[in-house]
Amino acid sequence: MAHPQLRTESASDTGLIAAWQAGDEQAATELVGRHARALARYLAGAGAPDAEVDDLVQETFIRAFRGVDRFRGQCQFRTWLLTIGGNVLKDYGRRAGRRKVLPLDEGVHDLTGDPHEHAVASEVEARLAAGLQVLPRLQREVFLLRAQQGLDYGEIAAALRTTPGAARVHYHHAVRRLKEMMG
Amino acid sequence: MIDDTKLENLAKRLGAAAAERLDVGATARTVVAALRRQPAQRRTWIELHWMRVAAAVVVLLGGGLIVRQTVPDVSEHPNHLVADDLGDLSTDQLKDVLDRFDEIVGSTTPLLDSSSDLRELNDEQLRNVLRSLEG
Repeated sequence: MAHPQLRTESASDTGLIAAWQAGDEQAATELVGRHARALARYLAGAGAPDAEVDDLVQETFIRAFRGVDRFRGQCQFRTWLLTIGGNVLKDYGRRAGRRKVLPLDEGVHDLTGDPHEHAVASEVEARLAAGLQVLPRLQREVFLLRAQQGLDYGEIAAALRTTPGAARVHYHHAVRRLKEMMG
Repeated sequence: MIDDTKLENLAKRLGAAAAERLDVGATARTVVAALRRQPAQRRTWIELHWMRVAAAVVVLLGGGLIVRQTVPDVSEHPNHLVADDLGDLSTDQLKDVLDRFDEIVGSTTPLLDSSSDLRELNDEQLRNVLRSLEG
């Protein structure tokens, strides 16, 4: 098997990508393991229906690996992957006739603690999810990349092909509108 | 109104349940199997190069077509040099043309310092003078 030394937790994403390009399937498996949950969170936060998250994650990885030649290290692999996920979700929305199915049951699965508090938290999260759907796509993606994924503006700008200043403006617009919508 | 910190905390939790439910191992197996069935069609450098050349040719041809359709065909109206019509004139007729030219332009500012000198020029030299006047 090619590049067995790269199949370790210490191997960089770019090393794993190179190994995958050389035909190492295990490298692809490692990359999926590293980034699948973050991608699922991102897709669910961006409005992917719960029942579709698994398929959308798979589709995103397949599309990313097939187009990995276009990844030139302009940002982190995960960030690049998340932007592809955004495109996959957009395509899904078109296929589904632009119907919006919101992940309204986020948080409900955690049954520890006060049920009333969970219900309130769930409701607030649902309002946030609903608010995100109203935002323009760029604002929504910048907000999620910043607030949910914890990326800095430079990284976000590189992934979305904009400037850090513009990314900051989009983020602040998103926050302002979300606050207004959530009351 | 909700504050920034609370909003960011909410955003961090968004999608957490979906991520927890994801079977990462199964996802990886499915992805690898799909890639194995239909590997990436990597374009070689030469393919990209020829695609760019083809794109450039299309742009040039399209641009040329648009220009031909929007701009009058200049080949139908070639530059016409008056001096070309002088080929059939005799030496005396050419000298007359130059004399008239001086009169037309104005007697106070003759274009030629001494039209009388023109009498000494031959046909070819006179034609050259007229062509130079025509610019």
